[in-house]
Amino acid sequence: MSKKIIIFFISFVMYPLLSFPQTDWIKWEKADFDYRKPNNYRHRDYSLDNDSSVSRYVVTATANIYWYFISDLDGDNCPFRPSCSAFFVESSKQTNIFQGTLMFFDRFTRDINIYKRHEHYPRVSDGYYYDPVSLYTLDENKIYYIPPSAIIEQ
Amino acid sequence: MNIALLLSIILLLISPNYSQSENIDFNSPTNIRLFADHLYCEEDYLRAIFEYNRLLEFEMNDTLVFKIGLCYSYMHDYLSSTYSFESIPRTSTFYNQSKIEWLKAILLLRDYSGFRLSYQNQFAVENNKYQNEGKKLFNFSYLFTDESLPSKEDFLSPFGLYEKGELSKFYNWKNDPPYKNSTIAGIMSAIIPGSGKVYVGDTSDGIVAFLVTGILVFLAYDNFQADHSTRAWIFTGLAALFYGGNIYGSIASAQIHNAKITFEFNESLNIYLQKNNYYSPTYDFCK
Repeated sequence: MSKKIIIFFISFVMYPLLSFPQTDWIKWEKADFDYRKPNNYRHRDYSLDNDSSVSRYVVTATANIYWYFISDLDGDNCPFRPSCSAFFVESSKQTNIFQGTLMFFDRFTRDINIYKRHEHYPRVSDGYYYDPVSLYTLDENKIYYIPPSAIIEQ
Repeated sequence: MNIALLLSIILLLISPNYSQSENIDFNSPTNIRLFADHLYCEEDYLRAIFEYNRLLEFEMNDTLVFKIGLCYSYMHDYLSSTYSFESIPRTSTFYNQSKIEWLKAILLLRDYSGFRLSYQNQFAVENNKYQNEGKKLFNFSYLFTDESLPSKEDFLSPFGLYEKGELSKFYNWKNDPPYKNSTIAGIMSAIIPGSGKVYVGDTSDGIVAFLVTGILVFLAYDNFQADHSTRAWIFTGLAALFYGGNIYGSIASAQIHNAKITFEFNESLNIYLQKNNYYSPTYDFCK
């Protein structure tokens, strides 16, 4: 019984990923070369130099491990900007590790929900949903509401 | 002979240029004005301002200053437009218009307490053709801030019968906005995971949160029952994090919902004011 539930749970969590699988075979096809910098170019800061506190160091190190061993190989699958892992790092920097963790789990729950995202979030110019950390710090002065119809220029 | 022929050919070729050439002084005041008006009517306001300012070096003209103010206003440079409108003297035919345009520009600077002071000290004390329009803008300014509103009767008094219905809706909304209480959202999610999100209006997020937390709690319970303590504790930890994250998220969702409500209200106010041209007159400078 327990195994069935575990399998169901994993399927439930994995469903959004499986719904939008990365089609790696496309890159082997002939394509016109484009010298323009891709829009979704990810600026990932792997350095640990700026992390003064132990908690920040732990968060950045965890994110680095995830990026290096999983995300960079698996592909750019998170529908949000900043991505869930970047959201975790950024939220921990802006608040603290405890609040950042709660913010991450809330974000992850919203990430699992694939229903009516387009009615909730504006998009960045390359199509990802824009969901900044500043909306969730519980500081009302930092909340700058952007309607879902807006397109955010990067 | 050859030279004479060559000269006659050259003269023949050059003569049309001379005969058709005009001696126009493009920098004469008349032509600068024509060009500036053309730019104004083409909505090329920045260049129109430049040309009108050139013209002001030849002659002082209230109409030009007023048009410069309008150009700045159309370009959303409201601070510069207030300077232009302020400089128009009482004797000008555009004095009344310049005062209401000045008031409109100050309102659009979004400094509402400054706007109200300007209205009370400079606009309301004078006898102006657009006194009622100014009062309408003054009352509108209360809707943009969190300050206490005047009585409904006072608020609606400058508006016509047709407008009162719409304005009454704005007034009621401002008095009792449909905000959600973030504390209630948090408590609801603490009792039933996800219910706080449903209360805020994020129903699908609430259902997902309920399912995820519920499944993890069941898995933890089931593994404890089966004496798989390591697995059980992992699921317990995950359930606690999702549970805590959902309570936190419900509070944040309520705050975002309230920001959304305020944003939509301000947008509808702006649309209403734009539709009514901020109660300022329209001008036919481009007939």
